Amino acid sequence: MLTRPSLGFGLGLRVDHYEAILGGTPPVDWFEALTENYLVPGGKPLDYLQRFRERYPIALHGVSLSIGSTAPLNGEYLSQLRALADRIEPVWVSDHLCWTGTGGRNTHDLLPLPYTEEALAHVVRRVQAVQEALGRRILLENVSSYVAFRDSELTEWEFLAEVAGRADCLILLDVNNIYVSSVNHGFDPLAYLAGVPLERVQQIHLAGHENHGDYLIDTHDHPVPDPVWALYAETLRRLGPVTTMIERDANIPPLEELCAELEAARALSARTLASAPRQALAS
Amino acid sequence: MSSLNDLQARFQAYLLRGTAGIESEVEGSERVSAATRLGIYGNAYAARLIEAMESNYPALASLLDEDFQDLAQAYVAAHDSPFFSIRWYGDGLADFLARDERYAEIPVLAELARWEWALRAAFDAADAPVLKAEALATVAPAAWAQLRFTFHPSVARLALHWNVPALWQALTGDAERPETTFSRAAVDRVIWREDFTSYFRSLEPPEARALDGALAGWPLGELCEALCESVGEERAPQAAAGYLRTWVGAGMISALR
Repeated sequence: MLTRPSLGFGLGLRVDHYEAILGGTPPVDWFEALTENYLVPGGKPLDYLQRFRERYPIALHGVSLSIGSTAPLNGEYLSQLRALADRIEPVWVSDHLCWTGTGGRNTHDLLPLPYTEEALAHVVRRVQAVQEALGRRILLENVSSYVAFRDSELTEWEFLAEVAGRADCLILLDVNNIYVSSVNHGFDPLAYLAGVPLERVQQIHLAGHENHGDYLIDTHDHPVPDPVWALYAETLRRLGPVTTMIERDANIPPLEELCAELEAARALSARTLASAPRQALAS
Repeated sequence: MSSLNDLQARFQAYLLRGTAGIESEVEGSERVSAATRLGIYGNAYAARLIEAMESNYPALASLLDEDFQDLAQAYVAAHDSPFFSIRWYGDGLADFLARDERYAEIPVLAELARWEWALRAAFDAADAPVLKAEALATVAPAAWAQLRFTFHPSVARLALHWNVPALWQALTGDAERPETTFSRAAVDRVIWREDFTSYFRSLEPPEARALDGALAGWPLGELCEALCESVGEERAPQAAAGYLRTWVGAGMISALR
């Protein structure tokens, strides 16, 4: 195992819940903070983050690394991220296996890569450079996608496995994203799970999506739906206990409601792990 | 087969400009065509930036209501984001409103945008210590004339012709919206943050001039000289001392230098 023991069950840190978190003792084991929300000069955001950090383990989750872009790595971003990590001492730092822009532009979207040898070699070099700059291993998350490129030579899971193995980074496995992409591209989500190097999976994301009939969009505005729960259970059977969190970015309900959903994740995990010993990593 | 660099350039040109030329690189399926798939990204691009602008300009969005979408669309079409954080997107909106012929006829819009951007900047400006009033008592009399001030990074100055602060308060709170009123002489305003709360107030012209001088690094002696012109030689020292006490009391000054 390359990963750390499970931190338990967490939530994404959202402004809507700040006071409820500080004013009570919600049953949340840890929080995931969106890095860019705290890459500001100062003021309330950083003060809050510091206060949450005093009470909970915090993971930093970014959207701007653009690890797959052919534009140079953004040194200013990396140095600000490193400074934030030095200040907050997160349990880990994660971002996405994607690109967000090129030529000095940012689309602020998580855009898919072609799964080619060229892209693979490029991403591996950049992950190594980022890990060097940050002085730590990073986690890369699989994204939801709506297009696949004709040039792709590998499956997404083969690409993810190769990046993680060659660059020696860890994986943030988003179970909802696997499901969304499996519907959008017509692959078997279990084949995806079977192809992921489980010993590198440090954390799981759960979330909801929007069903457009012929395709799904990863909106994080609904509760976790049944097919995602089922795929999570399947992941647990293969992986054992793993740090898990629920993401909600729109239609954000009161904290108690998300805590109830998190309780469902806890219960599912306990049930699944009690009834099925780990398969993949048992040996 | 196109290189990664070329593929990304063409994909981004499609998102930013709607430029054709990426569709042939994308797999379509019977159920979902390549064009539909690309469209998901195309729509999300503008929607995300517009959402960021709504969050940076809540009063302007409320004032313009549905027309804000048109404004934001036009801004997005003319401004790519160079920022790694979407927090900074929309920084040029006030200038855009002042320049674009569709909006320049309603100059209160540009002023409201400048105001909201300045408030947003004060909210997450860098942290710095706040000078305590007692610190002034420790300054030796001989040192007063050369005394300079380091202001808190959140302190910002604006001069506005329209009653923008009252409009802003009404649009972001419960108060009834006042008529927009124009004042021929711009009214000086200052914005700052103390203990994570943002404040603003208007300034009479002598205080505004003194504050601008102090922000520019003038020593107290020069501030007094400048004040002689506006309040007279006799009252200048007292006025300067009064402003200084006010600024220190409000938490606007971080240090003496």
